[in-house]
Amino acid sequence: MSKPRVAFFDFACCEGCQLQVANFGEALLDVLKLIDVVEFREVMSEKSNEKYDIAIVEGSITTNHDIERIKKIRNTAKVLIAYGSCATIGGVNGMKNNFPLEKIKKYVYNKDANYFDTIATKAVHQVVKVDYFVHGCPIYQPEFIEVLKSALRGLPYKVPDYSVCVECKLNENECMYDKGITCLGPITRAGCNSWCINNGNICYGCRGMVTNPAKNAQMDVLDKYKIPLDWIKNKINMYNKAGEQAPEEK
Amino acid sequence: MKQFKILEKKDFPQFIKRLSKKHKVVAPVSRGNKSYAFTQVDSSDQIAMKYIPTILPPKKYFMPQRETLAQYNKSKKTFQTVLEFEELVIFGVHTCDLAGIQCLNIVFSDTPKDINYIARKNRILIIGLECNDYCDEYASCKVMDSHHPNGGYDLFFTELKESFIVHVNTLEGEGIIELTGLFKEATSNHLKEREGVIAAKKKIFKDEVDVHYKDLKPMFDKSAGSKVWEDLEKRCLSCGNCTNVCPTCYCFDIIDEINLDLDTGYRIRQWDSCQNEDFAKVAGGESFREERGQRQRHRYMRKFSYPVERYARHFCTGCGRCSRTCMAKINLKETINALAKENR
Ligand code: SF4
Ligand code: SF4
Repeated sequence: MSKPRVAFFDFACCEGCQLQVANFGEALLDVLKLIDVVEFREVMSEKSNEKYDIAIVEGSITTNHDIERIKKIRNTAKVLIAYGSCATIGGVNGMKNNFPLEKIKKYVYNKDANYFDTIATKAVHQVVKVDYFVHGCPIYQPEFIEVLKSALRGLPYKVPDYSVCVECKLNENECMYDKGITCLGPITRAGCNSWCINNGNICYGCRGMVTNPAKNAQMDVLDKYKIPLDWIKNKINMYNKAGEQAPEEK
Repeated sequence: MKQFKILEKKDFPQFIKRLSKKHKVVAPVSRGNKSYAFTQVDSSDQIAMKYIPTILPPKKYFMPQRETLAQYNKSKKTFQTVLEFEELVIFGVHTCDLAGIQCLNIVFSDTPKDINYIARKNRILIIGLECNDYCDEYASCKVMDSHHPNGGYDLFFTELKESFIVHVNTLEGEGIIELTGLFKEATSNHLKEREGVIAAKKKIFKDEVDVHYKDLKPMFDKSAGSKVWEDLEKRCLSCGNCTNVCPTCYCFDIIDEINLDLDTGYRIRQWDSCQNEDFAKVAGGESFREERGQRQRHRYMRKFSYPVERYARHFCTGCGRCSRTCMAKINLKETINALAKENR
C-alpha cells in the first residue's frame, strides 16, 4: 500500500504549530514511515501540485482570499485536519472580532486600509467541513500523533468533553485557585494533559470551552473567590472570540 | 496480646534512611500552600508529618491514573495481558485513607477478581500514622468511624511525647522492624501514654453532621426527589475533582491505543468520573445522567447507599477531600445536613 500524501498548509497564524510538528524529535521518524509529506512550507521547498490525500491546516480564515483557498484545499483533500487554536477555534486572531472591522482595519493599516481585504476571523470549520481537530496553542504533540493515527485508520478521534481540571487532578497539581490565581481550567476542554499547569502556568483556555460549561455555577465560583467577571472575560476573549461576529460600527 | 514497639523520635531520620535504602518509600510531601502529595522520599526532612489529606489519596498506587492492562499485535494476531506492579512502602497513611484502601480491596476482590489490582496490592506495605487532632473543618471521619485504625496496615505509628509507639500488625511489618533495627519493646508506661492519646482523641472527635451513622443510608434512600440535588445542579461545574480525589471512587475507562507502526498496541485503563459529561453516555448519544444534579446524587448514593447494600460498608471515609477540592464549595457535611433538615 502506498503511503498517503500529506500536505501542511497555513493561514493566519504564527506557524508555531508547524514548528511543534517539525520538533517531534524521534517520533517524527516513525511518523514519516507512515506518511509521505508532499508540502510543508516551514521545512521543505517542494510543492504538492495539488495532489494530496490529507490536508493538515493551521491558522484562521481572515480574508476572502482565504475562503477561496481553503475551499480549494477541502475539494482536493480526502481528509482535512485542522490543528492549532487559530484553525480549530479562531484562537488569538479572534480578538479582532472584539472591534468593528473598519475600525480595526484602520488601526492596523492606517491610510492604506483600503488596499486590504479583511473579514471577521473564522475557525476553519466555520467555512468548510473539518474531519479532525487538534486543539491547542500550540498543539500538544502527543495529541497530534493520536489524531494522525486515527485519521490514518479512518477512525474518529474524540476530543475530551470534560474540563482540564480532570487531567490536572490526575497529575496532582496544586489548584491555581488555592494559590489565589484565576485559571480557565474549569471551563476548558481537556486533551492537553494539563500541560501548562504541570509547568507552573495557568490555563488560558486555548483549547476552547467544554460544550456545557455551567455558566451559573462559574459565576458562583467567581463570586466566592472574589474574582471580577472582567478578568475572566478578558482571559476567555484571548482565544474564544471567533465564534462571535464583530460588533457593528457605532 | 497486641504487639507494640517503640521508635525514639531521634531515631526517626535513621529509620527513613535505612528503610529507603532497601525499599522505594513514598510519604506525604508538601506541595505548596496547604497541599500535600504522596511522593518518593529518602530522608525524613522531606516528609510532612503533620499534613492534611493529600491531593490524591494513596489509591494512586493501587490503581494508577493510567495503567497498561494488555498488549496486542494485529498481524501476529496476539493479545497478551500485562501486569504492572512494584514493591513499595507507603509511610504515613492516615486512618481515613486506610479505610479507603480497605474499600477498594473489597471491590477489586469481588468476582471477577481484578488481578492487576491484586498484584499491586500484594506488593505494597502500609505504615499508618495516627492523627491526634482534626486535619481541618472539612473532615468528617468521626461520623464515618474512620478516625481510629480498623486494621489494613502492616505497621501503625502513634506519636507520643518522645517517641512513636508502633503497632505491628503483620509479618511484613515485623520484617521492617527487623530490617531497620531501631525499635525496642514498649513498656507499660508507653502503653499508658498511648491510652492517654486515645482518650484525648475521644474528647476532640465528635460527630461532624446532624445524622447518626446508622441513619445515613435510610436518609439517602429517601432523598431521590430532594431539593438538595436541584441546588447542587445549579452549583456544580462537573469538573470531576470530587471523584478523582476520593479514596473510594474507582471508576475507570478502558481504551485501546495503537503504536505508530499501526500494528502493535496496548490496552490501558484510566480513571473516569461519574461527574464527567460523557460518563453515562451510550451509543446513539443518549445519556442516563444528563443533569449535574443527577450526577451529584449518584456520587452521594455511591458513598452512602449502594455499597452499604452490597458490601455492608459506607464508601465515605470522611477524609473531606471532595469538599476541600470543590471550587464551587459543594460541601459533603453541608449536603448531609441539608438532607437531614428536609427530613425533620
Ligand atoms: S468538585 Fe465540585 S464542581 Fe467539581 S464535579 Fe465535584 S461537586 Fe461538581
Ligand atoms: S466522599 Fe468525600 S469525604 Fe467521603 S471519602 Fe470521598 S472524598 Fe472523602
